Amino acid sequence: MIHAVLIFNTSGVPRLTKFYTPLQQSSQTLVQKIYSLVSSRQASLCNFLDAPELESFLGQTDDNGEKLRVVYRNYATLYFVFVVDSAESELGILDLIQVFVESLDRAFENVCELDLVYHFDEAHHILSEVIQGGLVLETNVEEIDRAVQEAAKARKESFASANPLSLGGGGVGSRGGTLQTPLHWITDRLTGVRAR
Amino acid sequence: MWERTLQDLIRGLRANKKDEAKFIAKAVDEIRDEVRGKDMELKAGAVLKLTYLDMLGYDMSWASFHVVEVMSSPRIHLKSIGYLAAGLSFHEDTDVLMLTTNSLKKDLNSRAEDVAVTLNGFSQIVNADLARDLGPEVIRLLTHSRPHIRKRAIIALYRVLDKHPGLREQAVPRLRERLEDDDPGVVAAAVNVLCELARKNPTDYLALAPQLFHLLTTSSNNWMLIKLIKLFGSLTPHEPRLVKKLQPPITDLISTTPAVSLLYECVHTCIIGGMLHGSQGNALARTCVTKLANFLQDSDQNLKYIALMALVKIVPSHPYLVAEYQEMIMSSVNDHDISIRMRALDLISAMANNLQSIVQQLLSHLARNESNGLPSAVQSLSQYSQGPSTPGIVTLNNPSMNPAYRLTLAQRILILCSQDTYESVTDFEWYLSVLVDLAYIANVDVGEQIRDQLVDVAARVRGVRGYAVQLMTKLLSDDSFLLNAGEGGSCSEVLWAAAWICGEYCSELAEPQKLLNYLLQPKVLTLPPEIVSVYLQGALKVFGSWAAELAEQWDDESLPKVKITVNTVLERIRDFASNADIEVQERAANIQGLFSFVNADLQAFHPKSTSNDIDYGEDSSSGFGVETPSVEPRFPKGLFLVHPLFSTYELNPVAASAQASVPIPDGLDLDAWIVPPPKEETEEAGGADGGADVVKVRKAKKGKGKAGIGGKTKKQKQVDLYEEEDVLSAPVETEEEKAERERVSFCFSRKQERLERQRDDPFYLTDSRQPAQGPTQDDVDLIPVVRLDDLPGLSEGSSASASRLPTLKSASKPRPPQAFVIDRVGEMPKGAKPPSLFSSPSSARSPPLSNGSGGTPVASTPSFFPQYEVEDDIPRTGTPPPIKVTRTKKKKKGTGTGTKKSRTSSVVPVDNT
Repeated sequence: MIHAVLIFNTSGVPRLTKFYTPLQQSSQTLVQKIYSLVSSRQASLCNFLDAPELESFLGQTDDNGEKLRVVYRNYATLYFVFVVDSAESELGILDLIQVFVESLDRAFENVCELDLVYHFDEAHHILSEVIQGGLVLETNVEEIDRAVQEAAKARKESFASANPLSLGGGGVGSRGGTLQTPLHWITDRLTGVRAR
Repeated sequence: MWERTLQDLIRGLRANKKDEAKFIAKAVDEIRDEVRGKDMELKAGAVLKLTYLDMLGYDMSWASFHVVEVMSSPRIHLKSIGYLAAGLSFHEDTDVLMLTTNSLKKDLNSRAEDVAVTLNGFSQIVNADLARDLGPEVIRLLTHSRPHIRKRAIIALYRVLDKHPGLREQAVPRLRERLEDDDPGVVAAAVNVLCELARKNPTDYLALAPQLFHLLTTSSNNWMLIKLIKLFGSLTPHEPRLVKKLQPPITDLISTTPAVSLLYECVHTCIIGGMLHGSQGNALARTCVTKLANFLQDSDQNLKYIALMALVKIVPSHPYLVAEYQEMIMSSVNDHDISIRMRALDLISAMANNLQSIVQQLLSHLARNESNGLPSAVQSLSQYSQGPSTPGIVTLNNPSMNPAYRLTLAQRILILCSQDTYESVTDFEWYLSVLVDLAYIANVDVGEQIRDQLVDVAARVRGVRGYAVQLMTKLLSDDSFLLNAGEGGSCSEVLWAAAWICGEYCSELAEPQKLLNYLLQPKVLTLPPEIVSVYLQGALKVFGSWAAELAEQWDDESLPKVKITVNTVLERIRDFASNADIEVQERAANIQGLFSFVNADLQAFHPKSTSNDIDYGEDSSSGFGVETPSVEPRFPKGLFLVHPLFSTYELNPVAASAQASVPIPDGLDLDAWIVPPPKEETEEAGGADGGADVVKVRKAKKGKGKAGIGGKTKKQKQVDLYEEEDVLSAPVETEEEKAERERVSFCFSRKQERLERQRDDPFYLTDSRQPAQGPTQDDVDLIPVVRLDDLPGLSEGSSASASRLPTLKSASKPRPPQAFVIDRVGEMPKGAKPPSLFSSPSSARSPPLSNGSGGTPVASTPSFFPQYEVEDDIPRTGTPPPIKVTRTKKKKKGTGTGTKKSRTSSVVPVDNT
């Protein structure tokens, strides 16, 4: 299962942290540790974080005695980091990160760091349509997008009925996706094109 | 009233970057007011702000009740904030969770939107109680009309079963129905959950195999296929028939699928699912390894990484297949990506069929510090043209310079070579040189491990000792190594091993006395005291060995040489004797004492022929030696003083379980309370009580000791000592002494008091017996263990032990073994400090060589333990009388694997200070 989803920027400031199982360390120390390791890695390196420092740090192993793995992807100024155990496919998680980012991109047009900063709650709602309780809920971007819109609409209506005088607020408008990054892992071989 | 929204808070945070703490303190104060208010909107806004601050590391557990309030709001836009906050801030033990049961139940029966939000929040916060109470609701939702809710319910069910497995019987059949759901997303979710469940209890889900197999052959959803394959990976080890059934479709998938991740999972499952046996399996194994090798060659680093990971798993069953790609794997160790290096290291450790070449290559990785940057330079340049530059480029270009990586690499080399007690090492001279090389180039703190390996190898492998001494001599004589010893990562601990090996096995050398120069050079004093101590001990051993050898082939020509050497040592040792470290100082003083003895003997020695010794002006008396040639040996007896202290018994590795396998005598329960401790006892008195069994045994021993001393009880003797000391040194007793005496008398009165109190206690059997044994009982109990051991040795010096030793020897009936065992257990923790100081570095060492350090320090200080366990009792012949070595036989049963010999000598201390 997925143990944690972390988003932080290239300066190590957390933008979204979600833990599905309690970890030994506080989320801040974990983010800092992973940040310090990830930020020194070039884009040409692989997307799996595996460092001697990390092994003792994560410490925790899953039931089969396998170590937790840290899979990350870098998009512009943001790092998306998933901490997973061996029940998840490493390459599949890379795709899942892509799915998540695409979903974010659908909800906020051309998603950028500021969107996550100011719509911290919205980002969590979108994540909850992809992953629930550490298990993957849905991988189809269309499906995710539809669910996100529905939930946003429900919240918006509820907000409007509670505050009849307010203008807008609650939920984000949908403006359709423009991020053209197909799912290479699942559908085809990736040929050197990276998400960056 | 201007309530701030989350956006305002974030804006404020960004505007107040300099004074963030103050701003947040103010914001939290506002939030505290807001959450207490009646306005639900305001409350939810406050909770949301708290949730944001929680991410930044500010505690929000104080507000958990308000979170529950927001969760139970009927409005979905507030409710979802509540669930979001709960999911982020609650944990299993949050006490307000039990308040949520009813509102969760209500929400699960509400509108679809509410149910979706609730299921999501529920699967985050569920604990055992909630799982038990709400599990049936979740199971009911598995048949909800909306696929979205069914999906969420399925996944929430996983958490329910995880926390409350009792619902499994009820849930699994319903879950099984969902495998045939119309909605592919629901089926995928069900497979996903089953995959997780089957990892924990595979046998429970074997019955689902046919259905899953059907899905495997019909589905085209790669996400689900990956999970299915993983699911079968956990099932096959428990159902061998599945292997045969699965082989065709998996082989098919491997050869046809375009999706790399699915291909990889298939290969991976083949490996971990045990599908590679038999002829068909072998063919499959070859396919798998070929596919993985293709990944290895791929330009995509991710594929390289996972290929290495999978190869590690296939090595145990098909090493020969992997060996074909050894070159490629070795080059991965050279990769500029540390993640890949780590995996490659793992794989290589698993292969290790050709240890020497692999270790050599790993060593060269450590040695070549800069050359690594070259191959990746082009790649890194091309990277820069693509994207913004990343920080930390210096460390990047060169993972070899990363200290953590170097440490891993160095440790890996050591582990590789030493595993299964050096099973794969064929050439130990090579291994020793590897160890020394490693000490030079590692540049990380592996010194201790290298030291332990060196000592271990030298002790275990007899044939390599000569080479070891040679190598270690070289190391000792390396000034630059000594100079750098203070720096981090210099592995100066290796000098410990060098000094020890040179000392212990110096008989391998032709001219061991030359080592003395290195062992006692003034620069040695810059080393850590633990190492200096070993240097001193080594020097003593070297001299002893050399002098004994010299004495055996005595030639009067050697006399001046010996004299010069002894004088040099005496001169050099002076610096050490004034060292601040107590251990070094004590050893140096001991050596000084021994050497003044030797020196005196040399001065008194008169060669038969006219000596050419002009330094000492004793030529005139040389004629006297001739008169009693038959009685006096031809050589100075003092030359034999030192050697027997160390060489009487050979040092052998002790089996790790040797100590544990000493049987506990019948009827002895070490854990049983003989006297239950009174509640109000202080720690000190309690400790004395706890060791009651020890004390009992000690007393038996005391009987003999006392006889030798002459009827004086220990305590009296101690008091006498105090008095003597007082008279001699200062008329007024010092604070310490006073305190100590008060403590003793305090103990005494406590003891009396306790005896009085427990007189009628029926459980106090042991104690009631004791008075019958005589009036000495109180005295014995009074003496603290430390004092008993230390005091005679330190203040009384030689006379006491000298008078005690013969007594023991004459009464040398071997004592029953339990006496030793218990005594040791009792002695060790409180035991003399010097040994513990000394053995601190060796405690980290592997168990086999417990004697290496254990034997040495005891010999250096007057022995506190009257007897030692030795396997055989060979008196050393040719040893002149002044030195008494006392050993007592002690039997050891149990292990057939290792012989335990401990070599310890009780030496008559020569104290001239």
